[in-house]
Amino acid sequence: MSRQVLLHVGCPKTGTSYLQDVLFRNQPVLREHGVLYPADRFDAHFLAALDLMTLPWGGLETEAVGAWDRLAAEVRAWDGTAIISHEIFARATPGQVARALASLGDAEVHLVLSVRDLVRQIPAEWQENVKHRSHVTYAAFLRTIRDPARESKIGSWFWAVQEIPDILDRWAASLPPERVHLVTVPPSGSDRGELWRRFSRTFGLDDLPLDLTAERENPSLGVPETSLLRTINQRVTSVLAPPDYRPLVREVLAHQTLSRGVASARLGLAPADHAWAQELSRSWVAVLAERGYDVAGSLDDLLGPEPGAFADPDTATADELLPPALDAISALLVEAARLRAVEERLHGELREAHEERDRARLTTSHRLRRRVVTTLEDSAAGRGTLAAYRRLRGRPRPAA
Amino acid sequence: MSADRAAAARAWVAHLREGGTTPWLAWTAGEDRGQATPGPLPGAQQLELLRRVNLRVLASTAAPAQRRTLADRVLAAPAAGRGKADLPLVGVSASDFGPRPVDPATVGAHELLRVASVLLADDLVALGPDPVPTAWPRPWRRRYRLVGDPVLATGLREHLRAHGRPEGGRRPVLVALAAPLDELLARTWTQRCFETGTRPWPEWLRFWRERDQLPARADLAASVRRWHARRPFVRIVTDPDRLPRQLGVRHLPQVRVPGADQAELARRVAAVVGIRVPAAERPALMRTLQRRIPGSGAAPVGVPDAEQAWVAASAARTTRELTRAGYPVVGDLADLAPARAGATRGVADDERVLDLAIRMLVDPSWRHTDRQVER
Repeated sequence: MSRQVLLHVGCPKTGTSYLQDVLFRNQPVLREHGVLYPADRFDAHFLAALDLMTLPWGGLETEAVGAWDRLAAEVRAWDGTAIISHEIFARATPGQVARALASLGDAEVHLVLSVRDLVRQIPAEWQENVKHRSHVTYAAFLRTIRDPARESKIGSWFWAVQEIPDILDRWAASLPPERVHLVTVPPSGSDRGELWRRFSRTFGLDDLPLDLTAERENPSLGVPETSLLRTINQRVTSVLAPPDYRPLVREVLAHQTLSRGVASARLGLAPADHAWAQELSRSWVAVLAERGYDVAGSLDDLLGPEPGAFADPDTATADELLPPALDAISALLVEAARLRAVEERLHGELREAHEERDRARLTTSHRLRRRVVTTLEDSAAGRGTLAAYRRLRGRPRPAA
Repeated sequence: MSADRAAAARAWVAHLREGGTTPWLAWTAGEDRGQATPGPLPGAQQLELLRRVNLRVLASTAAPAQRRTLADRVLAAPAAGRGKADLPLVGVSASDFGPRPVDPATVGAHELLRVASVLLADDLVALGPDPVPTAWPRPWRRRYRLVGDPVLATGLREHLRAHGRPEGGRRPVLVALAAPLDELLARTWTQRCFETGTRPWPEWLRFWRERDQLPARADLAASVRRWHARRPFVRIVTDPDRLPRQLGVRHLPQVRVPGADQAELARRVAAVVGIRVPAAERPALMRTLQRRIPGSGAAPVGVPDAEQAWVAASAARTTRELTRAGYPVVGDLADLAPARAGATRGVADDERVLDLAIRMLVDPSWRHTDRQVER
């Protein structure tokens, strides 16, 4: 069997969470069909990306030590097709790309880039920033990304993971165009299964009996919900550390609560920004068409929808923010109650453990052993005897 | 991109690899000199850092082989964290896409530090942790447990363990190392930089001020309560001269308090070490860095005026709590009040931090295993 690596490097907000979830949950089926998706945890390839790019990430990077080398070793050892997928690989520098490709050995590497029009990506990226502690307003975000200097962290990150021709310049420069595959996200309103069919075709998964149930997605928020979350960030990001922010704000508030506001207006672009984004997209489409890559879908998908009604999240009124705010308070109270129950249970377990220890200490044999130990500890010979005894029993020396 | 400028860029990289210091905009030679680096051109961050390293190397006695190895490492090092991508050289990149090309000389110290911190972290990992000196515990030693000032506590714990007086044991006296609260906060942040790293000093301080809480190690009352120590077994020590006696020794060594630049550099290095070695190995490596990091002459960080009122109020609250609890005090609880209002405070400056980083890259003496290190 020929060795092949399908390396999916982006972009964010193109259905990657769903794809990765399907691949992660179906690992045994994939293996049976000669396809390796090496991941012992859902975010294994995210950690590998952090490692490859030396990217601290709110403390998560400590779990990423050596993750890329391990992943690459598993891929090299596999005699068949292997898939690597994470959207933040899009940000890799040319040097990191060279290292990544070299570490995949002599396999035939195919680069996969899933892409979506800027008209939808820009609001989605702002939402993603807000879900990652940012309280930048939408207007400031747009100003930042439209600044050609790209001086800010937001601007440099945005373009590093969204500027399709540049990502391909970095990742695909050494590959023939037929081994570079673009998967375009279908226009809004398309059949929900269409994106998966494009992924499936590109990754060669069409005939496999995969469980496609959506267990993990990265849902989007409505305009008032995002506006509320940004306002909350203004208050909490300076006092809530990332390890607390992730479960309480990003998960409980954003993903589990505010994303349910499906009736809320969806965020788009104001007419002037829309025209700029579409113009830029047209120039990208022209460049990509010339390069002759394999495209699942159509490059025209990258032009995005026509302008629609624009709801400005920076001017959301108190009346608009009130319903999601009440939902947020309710969700946090429920979460607080759950955590209180956990705390109560742990206190109970600790109490039981203390009682058990105290009962054990009351026994004559324990008191006798304690006395022997204290007596031995008072002399050098006794301590030597104790140490020898503990070595024999395989017990560590007690901490001083 | 003109082919000439691309060739010139390769030649400039080779020039830098050979120890050259000519800025890119002053570079006029077009032909390749020496062995060109294979693969993509390094970013402007790496190239400018190498040029600055070379400027420092000129004044050093580093051997050519050492210089070349260091040059290759600088060119291959990534820039840590979510900053700018590797920046192309002005006049070379003809692409309409990607980050705008720059003159490397204009790349800020902050960006160069992203690369330098990776190199120093790799040096530290390669060096490995210093062995921790220990001695058989003396049976007659005073049993103690240290809380409070983390810089002092860490240094003293090590010293005492090396002299047969490890922390802990049966019914230890809980010795709380007190200090004016502004200094205590500064030292808590400083020590954190040499452990896991943390956010920058102003942000860290704001985090606690907005919570109106003290970090665990700077909260003396909570630190004492945490150990459930009975009152007779507690000493709140505000007078450093009387500390040795509380620990059952005659003298204690002076513990070095890292300056603002050293702490800031350690903070950056800690973040990279966290992604290079398993979490359990990081503390010993960072402690090694704390012992060996060269001095920069900068004072330790200080609390800015804007935060002084909150610090004073927190100190007053701590004093009230300790007084009410009735713990024995060695010294005077009035000494917990912030002491440095109006005094000269250390502030980390990116240029100075970069200077320290480059000094450590060029002069490997801090990595020599037989070097006497300060405690």
